[in-house]
Amino acid sequence: MDHTKQEGEYGYELFPHRNMGKNKQGSIAEGQFTFNHKCQIMLQFAMETSPYAKLLLSAMKNSGCKLFKDRHFSCEDCDGTVSGGFDASSSQIVLCQNNIRQQSHMNRVVTHELVHAFDHCRADVDWFNNLRHLACSEIRAANLSGDCSFSTEAARFNFGLKQHHQDCVRGRAIRSILAVRKIGQEEAEKIVNEVFNTCFNDHAPFGRIPHSKKDANFAYRDYENRDRYYSNL
Amino acid sequence: PPRACDDYWSEFRHCKSLWNRFHHYYTHGTSPSCQQWKEDYRNCREWEKRKSTEAKEALQRSERNRVAEQTKFTPVWKLRQYPPRDWNMPLNQDKPQDS
Repeated sequence: MDHTKQEGEYGYELFPHRNMGKNKQGSIAEGQFTFNHKCQIMLQFAMETSPYAKLLLSAMKNSGCKLFKDRHFSCEDCDGTVSGGFDASSSQIVLCQNNIRQQSHMNRVVTHELVHAFDHCRADVDWFNNLRHLACSEIRAANLSGDCSFSTEAARFNFGLKQHHQDCVRGRAIRSILAVRKIGQEEAEKIVNEVFNTCFNDHAPFGRIPHSKKDANFAYRDYENRDRYYSNL
Repeated sequence: PPRACDDYWSEFRHCKSLWNRFHHYYTHGTSPSCQQWKEDYRNCREWEKRKSTEAKEALQRSERNRVAEQTKFTPVWKLRQYPPRDWNMPLNQDKPQDS
């Protein structure tokens, strides 16, 4: 969701436990332990069973960025309603243990952040200075992670039908940018609109927009067979 | 052939399914066009069974088209030659044992 570097300017305040290197003590500690434990378990389950996550993990490994659960994922407490983030400066995916309560949500957040990590791995993304890059990755993450699927949107009481997916992707990308950069709504909209067509149509590494688990499984199958595929074109 | 022939058939069936038609409308505002998958399945079988060069070329053309469709935009960023150098660098903060 965001790519944090400095307090205040890049959205770091949403993740108060980053860069603080402290040990939580006291009576809260037990509650944190349960949240943390649950987060770890859900993360493991997502990595092992979600075709979305498995495809991204495989693609990243093949791009030279193999992910290790202990190094590249971090379950932490976060502010507000943030679910997760990608910290480019430490190459870590942050998962908000206090805000992710269900496995389906975890699957989506993991996929969303993995898209950012994948973009970071394969391209020279200037997370901190280039808003078009940031917007592009947010568009892709909202598009490919299931964030904007019909059922996910319906659960938010956003009932839309014809092409609603695109409205959702646009809207979520704008919100993500506004959450971590001090710019106005209009400017955020302008940037997202500028890069929308290109980035909405960039489906790497899925090769399609995975609308459902079945789509994601098909995409995973294609990805596993890519050597045969490209050598027979 | 680039894919197992059964894969073309399963893509065709999936494309025509109610769920997929719904999702396609929800995403693009149109109905999906699935005929190409059926055509590809036919050509795949022809290629395998009869080693037909016509079928082979038709299928390859169709697949190259698909690849072209996926890459016809100009990316906003430059692709890297090598992965980020600091991907596996150790974390420099004293993190509590919760990660």
